Amino acid sequence: MTSSLLLSLTTFAYLLCTVLYLAGTIFRFKPLLAAGTITGAATLLMQTAGIGLRWVESYRMGYGHAPLSNMYESLVFASWAIMIIYLVFEWRVKQRALGVFPALFSFLAMAYASFSKDVDSKIQPLVPALKSNWLIAHVMTCFLGYAAFAVSCGLSLLYLVRKRFPENPNPQGGFVAFLPGASQLEWFNYQMVLFGFLWLSVGIITGSIWANSAWGTYWSWDPKETWSLITWFIYAALLHARNLQGWKGERVAWLSVIGFGCVLFTYFGVNFLLSGLHSYAR
Amino acid sequence: MSKEKSAPGAVLDLLSSLKLTLVLFFVLAAASVIGTLLPQEISLPELRDHFSPATASLINFLALNNLYHSMWFRILLLLLCTNLVACTIERLPKTIRLIRRFEAPFDSQKLSKFGISSSIAAALPFEQTQSVVESAVCETFGRMCRIESGRVGGQGPFCAVSETGRWSTLMVYGVHLSVLIVLVGALAGSYLGFKGAMNLTEGETSDKVMLAGDESVQGLPFEVRCDKFEVSFYDTGAPKEFRSDLAIIDKGREVLKESIVVNDPLTYEGITFYQASYGTTLKEAEIDLTDPDSGKKIALTLPFRQPVTIPGTDDQLVIADYQEDLMRVGQAIELVYGKQGRQSSAQWILIDRPYHGNRIENYLVRVTRIDKARFTGLQVKKDPGIWLVWAGFTLMTLAIGLTFYSSHRKLWVCIEPDKKRKKTIVTLAGRASRNAQAFEEKFEALRAELENRLKNPPAPL
Repeated sequence: MTSSLLLSLTTFAYLLCTVLYLAGTIFRFKPLLAAGTITGAATLLMQTAGIGLRWVESYRMGYGHAPLSNMYESLVFASWAIMIIYLVFEWRVKQRALGVFPALFSFLAMAYASFSKDVDSKIQPLVPALKSNWLIAHVMTCFLGYAAFAVSCGLSLLYLVRKRFPENPNPQGGFVAFLPGASQLEWFNYQMVLFGFLWLSVGIITGSIWANSAWGTYWSWDPKETWSLITWFIYAALLHARNLQGWKGERVAWLSVIGFGCVLFTYFGVNFLLSGLHSYAR
Repeated sequence: MSKEKSAPGAVLDLLSSLKLTLVLFFVLAAASVIGTLLPQEISLPELRDHFSPATASLINFLALNNLYHSMWFRILLLLLCTNLVACTIERLPKTIRLIRRFEAPFDSQKLSKFGISSSIAAALPFEQTQSVVESAVCETFGRMCRIESGRVGGQGPFCAVSETGRWSTLMVYGVHLSVLIVLVGALAGSYLGFKGAMNLTEGETSDKVMLAGDESVQGLPFEVRCDKFEVSFYDTGAPKEFRSDLAIIDKGREVLKESIVVNDPLTYEGITFYQASYGTTLKEAEIDLTDPDSGKKIALTLPFRQPVTIPGTDDQLVIADYQEDLMRVGQAIELVYGKQGRQSSAQWILIDRPYHGNRIENYLVRVTRIDKARFTGLQVKKDPGIWLVWAGFTLMTLAIGLTFYSSHRKLWVCIEPDKKRKKTIVTLAGRASRNAQAFEEKFEALRAELENRLKNPPAPL
């Protein structure tokens, strides 16, 4: 059993999970949603084992570092974080019909990591700049934030869909009937953004403490840093806008979608389009 | 009395408005995006290589090529701080009043208008109802405190409030304060500290730091010596470790010896040395100068960047620069020939390729020997503001975390006798700043429990 086998299986299992959630929501068949949850949880366990095994393998190769050091490993962790945040959320709010987007995002992250030619899945040794205990703290916190924003983007999309339909749809009212009410979705979204904002802030903070010990400067307006700050501004605006007349609701939902766009650009756009200190994240 | 706001009042209103906050967030985000798309910290001539002259001038005029340090970007940050302070001035007193004060008088009419509210008509007498309600609420929601109601008189209603997490409303001020602390720390660092680079060859001692940006030199109150520099590689060829063995010499005495690697700097007297880069530099070169007219040959040894007088003349020669690979034709030195009272001339001399262009003034130049040395590139920094920045970061983490994990929950209870129906009416209402769903569940549980206990009261003692 190798980590790459487990992680390949994970990719397909997340696809199955997405299909189950989608079918359960569209056909309004609760057992399918339950199957989605079970598949998601089982896949998460398998992925956890895969990540753990990859960690062990890196020690066997003599490099010995946490599997959080390049694009491939961060994508795997992102997919893991999205699923664990979503499952905890599902368990807390007892709503199963919200799993389509998180499962889809988890699957897409794994698929991109596995199949893209730009992403190298080899275990590589750490360059001197990455040799620090801050690596784990920084990458984990950032990606917990990104994952929460992915879930909140999914919630916002569902909210926008929900808004297009009347509050109390009749039992034959299509898949919307399964979704929680708009005000509840709005509240879930706010909670998820606040959670993501907490981790994004801690991610930026740990990154700047690390930069200070590696490069002697805690803030250098490197494109990655700047884009994470742009993301921070957008979500800070969202948290404030919610208290403003006329913003709570659809505008906040759109801001959450835009915010997730910024997250994606911070993650992929900066790596592939802009150069800077974070070039090893390719 | 006119209700028109005075001018300062209107300005305070604008500065403390949430709309301004939103506008500032969006403008700062947009400005930062521009900064990542345009090349930063490059000069006007360099800009002209990338853009048309008019565009280059516009970029330069708006300082978009040094955006994050430009005046207008700083003004935006200053406005954000002003907005924060103004909001605090306007809202903190209200919040504190809310936290310290007991509830304003209320009655059951007011409670029934709450989002979460419920009313129960009990057949029990007033006093017994009150004790049942008190015990049920205390078991579910914690301490209750009796407060005055709006009505006066012996048989007036009993009104009470139970709440938890009042302080959670203060957390947002903690987040705002932390932003100010971080920015003040950054400001203190940029005015009271410095940032620069220091290149030391093995064995070299120096107390001079080349400052970033303006290329001026900052002297240190002590000297640094590099005893050794090493690079190690993985089997794959990727670098594994850069290590410099440094010694600090204070007033001629060696006070500290330490090795630094990336991620593990050395700090002495508030000044920190980071392993930043490395490279090869020239130590000295031996050259032959040949006068093509007389055929006379002069051999010279030139230490790097130290002028040497050419024997028999007043003229001086200096190696001003060294390149490992000049325009992909190999190693080269830049010679500068200085003549008394005349403008000096400079010429690149190829070391590995003795070609006809290797001449300065009328001499043919041949490099016969070079002595190279490896240097370690240190980043040197003094930042007295860093502790403020760290303190701000800590406060920010705690305050955002507590905002997420805490909630202000409040429960109102009103008990009043209904003399006509010979019943006692219990009205409940609640509000939670966060996680309203969990609160609603608890509220519902309390309502059900109360209904049950009021129907089947425990035997009076």
